[in-house]
Amino acid sequence: MARLVADPDRGGDVLVATATPPGASALAVVRLTGPTGATLAVARRIAPRLPEAPRPREAALCRLVGEDGQPLDRALVLFFPAPSSATGEEVVEFFCHGSLAIVAGLLAAARAAGARPAVRGEFTRRALANGKLDLAEAEGLAALARAETRGAARRALGLVEGELSRRVMAAREKMLDVLSGLEAALDFAEDVAAPDARGVADVLAAVAGEAEALATTAARGGARDRHKVVAILGRPNAGKSTLFNALVGRDRAIVTAVPGTTRDAISETCEIGDEMLTLLDTAGLRATEDEVEKIGVDVAERAGETADLVLYAIDMVLGMKEEDEEFLGKGRAGQTLVVGTKADLVGGDAEEGRVEVLASARTGLGLEALRALLAARLGFVQADGELLVLERHRAALVSAASSLREAAALAGNLPPAPELVAARVREALSALGVITGETATEELLDRIFATFCVGK
Amino acid sequence: MEARWEVIVVGGGHAGCEAALASARLGRKTLLLTRERATIGRMSCNPAVGGLAKGQVVREIDALGGAMGLVADRTAIQFKVLNGSRGTAVRGLRCQSDKALYAEEMTRTVNSAPNLSVGEGTAAGFSLLGGRLGGLTLEDGSTLVCGAAVVTTGTFLRGLVHVGDVQREAGRWNEPPARALSDALVALGLRLGRMKTGTPPRVRASTVDVAKMARAPGDARPVAFSFRSRGEAFPRQRQVDCWLTHTHEAVHDLIRESLPLSPLYSGRIVGRGPRYCPSIEDKVVRFSDKPRHQIFVEPEGLSTDWLYLNGLSMSLPEKTQESIVRMISGLERAEILRPAYAVEYDMVFPEQLDVSLETRALPGLFLAGQINGTSGYEEAAGQGLVAGTNAARVVTGDEPLRLGRHEAYIGVMLDDLVTLGLDEPYRLLTSRAEHRLLLGADTAYARLTGTALAFGLVTEQEAAPVFEAEARVARVSEGLSGARVRPDRATRERLAGRGVSLMEETTLAGLLRRPEADLAKLEDLCAEMLDGETAADLAALRPEERDRLVADLRYEGFVTREREAIARVARAAERVFPDGFAFNGIPGLSAEATERLERHHPRTLGQASRLPGVTPAAVTLLLARLLSFRRGVAA
Repeated sequence: MARLVADPDRGGDVLVATATPPGASALAVVRLTGPTGATLAVARRIAPRLPEAPRPREAALCRLVGEDGQPLDRALVLFFPAPSSATGEEVVEFFCHGSLAIVAGLLAAARAAGARPAVRGEFTRRALANGKLDLAEAEGLAALARAETRGAARRALGLVEGELSRRVMAAREKMLDVLSGLEAALDFAEDVAAPDARGVADVLAAVAGEAEALATTAARGGARDRHKVVAILGRPNAGKSTLFNALVGRDRAIVTAVPGTTRDAISETCEIGDEMLTLLDTAGLRATEDEVEKIGVDVAERAGETADLVLYAIDMVLGMKEEDEEFLGKGRAGQTLVVGTKADLVGGDAEEGRVEVLASARTGLGLEALRALLAARLGFVQADGELLVLERHRAALVSAASSLREAAALAGNLPPAPELVAARVREALSALGVITGETATEELLDRIFATFCVGK
Repeated sequence: MEARWEVIVVGGGHAGCEAALASARLGRKTLLLTRERATIGRMSCNPAVGGLAKGQVVREIDALGGAMGLVADRTAIQFKVLNGSRGTAVRGLRCQSDKALYAEEMTRTVNSAPNLSVGEGTAAGFSLLGGRLGGLTLEDGSTLVCGAAVVTTGTFLRGLVHVGDVQREAGRWNEPPARALSDALVALGLRLGRMKTGTPPRVRASTVDVAKMARAPGDARPVAFSFRSRGEAFPRQRQVDCWLTHTHEAVHDLIRESLPLSPLYSGRIVGRGPRYCPSIEDKVVRFSDKPRHQIFVEPEGLSTDWLYLNGLSMSLPEKTQESIVRMISGLERAEILRPAYAVEYDMVFPEQLDVSLETRALPGLFLAGQINGTSGYEEAAGQGLVAGTNAARVVTGDEPLRLGRHEAYIGVMLDDLVTLGLDEPYRLLTSRAEHRLLLGADTAYARLTGTALAFGLVTEQEAAPVFEAEARVARVSEGLSGARVRPDRATRERLAGRGVSLMEETTLAGLLRRPEADLAKLEDLCAEMLDGETAADLAALRPEERDRLVADLRYEGFVTREREAIARVARAAERVFPDGFAFNGIPGLSAEATERLERHHPRTLGQASRLPGVTPAAVTLLLARLLSFRRGVAA
């Protein structure tokens, strides 16, 4: 489908906006975007020393003047000619000092010079209108701005850089090729022979496989955008709170030698690998008559049931006790990681059947190994080419794959029913359109006319 | 000519005739205004009606009470179903027509229609009355009063004919163009564009050696377009063959050498031509690896010597055309009776119309046919029928007829025209219809007869046999679904002998869904297992209804899924934009769509989806935003 060019009524304005968050800071970035010539003209009203034809993407140190003609600031100015800019239009960026007065003065000067303050999302919209971004990329941009963890940021970046779009587009290309062959033979029966049924079935099955693989990657990536929850459980005084503080990197939980100090569950985020997780410290598990502690134990047990992973602490000095056996015997084996604590007191080489890793929060011994084990158990190991894919994308890929499987099966039938194969391929294409925001009809016709000599 | 009319139709081509007949049928006092009575119903280009997607449109026109199908049936000299071996949804009915008989029959139909008069004259402008169309002024200076008008100018608006470097002002070969009306349309604020189309050479049959060509016969059992043909002799005319020959490399070389002489390549023609109907120059240039191109040689009638060289449209000089034609096998001595020519003409960008085909610039003014940028007799006729119906209804203050994309190819076309706009002449293709499986020619009556009856386009007597036939197919279908077939030894063997394997219990309908089974193979089984009445119904089905019956069974799963999708869209269309919903700043929405939405501020998603520039993808985005708005996730 042809991309829409900037609309004549609305694309005409030069827009101005701050690119950095509001508030005082060392530096602030103010951007202009708009038609070629007009944008630079606004910039040169603000930075009179800026040359008539600035060198693209090279910083120039310029004095900025306010709307009253008085000096405002000295700033670096960057010029991006259309279409090689973020919006596809002519763009000028000012890197000024980040005082509120300077930024306000700069915005006022831009308005006085003819620019209009951008409404929210307007820069992105221009980028979309100029074909700089597609829908998946725009969503990636939004995700990047929200990314809480480095892993999420990397996946978001993949989306922005069009990795998902590229792979979906590659699949889509193949589908359009097959479909245009089928459609050309249907719509121009006298000019175009029907494509080979076996070949069609094979290509469709292969594309279905690709969509399925992409959906699987998507499921893994998507699941990770939610914080995983890890609950530390164990008998009283097993060193849970000490371990908790060591993992979160500060003294968040009160630690005493008195068993049963922790009553309520304490939650804190903690970075493991490139991911963030929520760590819960809980009351030690024991039968107790203390009403408050009893509630704490219930809370701990519930946390153990709902957490993605239980980190079960065993005091290596005392070794496994009956309560430990009882808890570990309840199952959830795949979701439990058993850590031996106070490892420094037993020389670091003690053995205990169920213990998977020894650690000492006091000396730091074994903490790295514990972190690595946590990352592996939670599936934080980074796979190549992994993508951030929103649930919407995954659902679209799954639905496309299922339509393609049906299409491939129909293509193998005799006598052939190309209109039914085409119906399923179209269904798959429209599912993928959810990711890229494009519909296929016009593109399909373009392809038919470019590929087949049709018509009389 | 009387001066006061309820509806005036300008132009007597395929769009004009259907428009005038529809308006008259609805009881409006209607005038068909044409430059020349003798040109009514004239086929300017190929001597054929129907084809892929087009055949479906002819059926739709017939279901909606139009004339094209019946006129084509009465005057056809060859019938052929295209895609005949494929599913019923994609089969295209087509006939070769006797051009003179077609025009004669259409003229007779127009002349005998109650409430309809024909007058000669050329429209030059519009007069306004209270912000609406009040009448027309003609080139001779006279004026006519009307409540609504349908303008169908075909290729006549500032028409310019090209043959090589020779050009002259004409709407067809030697008919003067309409000069003044373009300015009048511009004065209304309408945006005009220029398009180009072409037609191939005509040669004298007695100078053509068909023995050197391949015979292209029609179907042994012709299928009629019109339901109404069942009541009369069919086919009425003697049936004849067409012939097939090919171009070759030497022809292509000559065409390539001659390109500088073609106005298409010299830049003299500015109008856009259609990609699906390319000139031979285009084919040779764009598909240089193809060693030959097909030329169908088609008779233009039973009592004429003219042959139409389908596939050889061009705009090269006459002399060059003669050399090219005579290099082709069987045409070595061919005498060219009329050279191929290209014609450029003005059109109105159709996004300026409502889907009822009324212009937004001037209420009461409707446009139909090539003036809306389409090509093809059938496309024109379909629009004419809708525009004529709605012109009649606007006079009486009734709601217009609007056909949905899932209801008719005509609906697909109208929606494409007013929402997508166009940059080349528009032709219907089955691939334009997302609900293609619902839009087969065989289902046209089931789809549209109810609407036609409700709008007064057909009478109850006309509709009754349609409903009766539909009911019969439904009864048989039900009977087949209820008849259980058990895999006992005798039945298994009986079926195995016909290439149908039976492993477990099923129904007759289940067997018919199998690709390897068909009604003929199971005839005796059906006769034994169905009750007497149902068996009689089955025996009474016409061949096309039998195909339809099996197709319905095979398409069932697909049709169900499409209907679900349509229902989802319909439900989504009911969604109301809440107060405070902002149309700007939605990522992915084009600037054009945003601007339209902000200007029109639609109340529902359905209204938004009908705005020009708001594509299906844009509707998806709006829906997503609506859902997140509900959840309070305003970002």
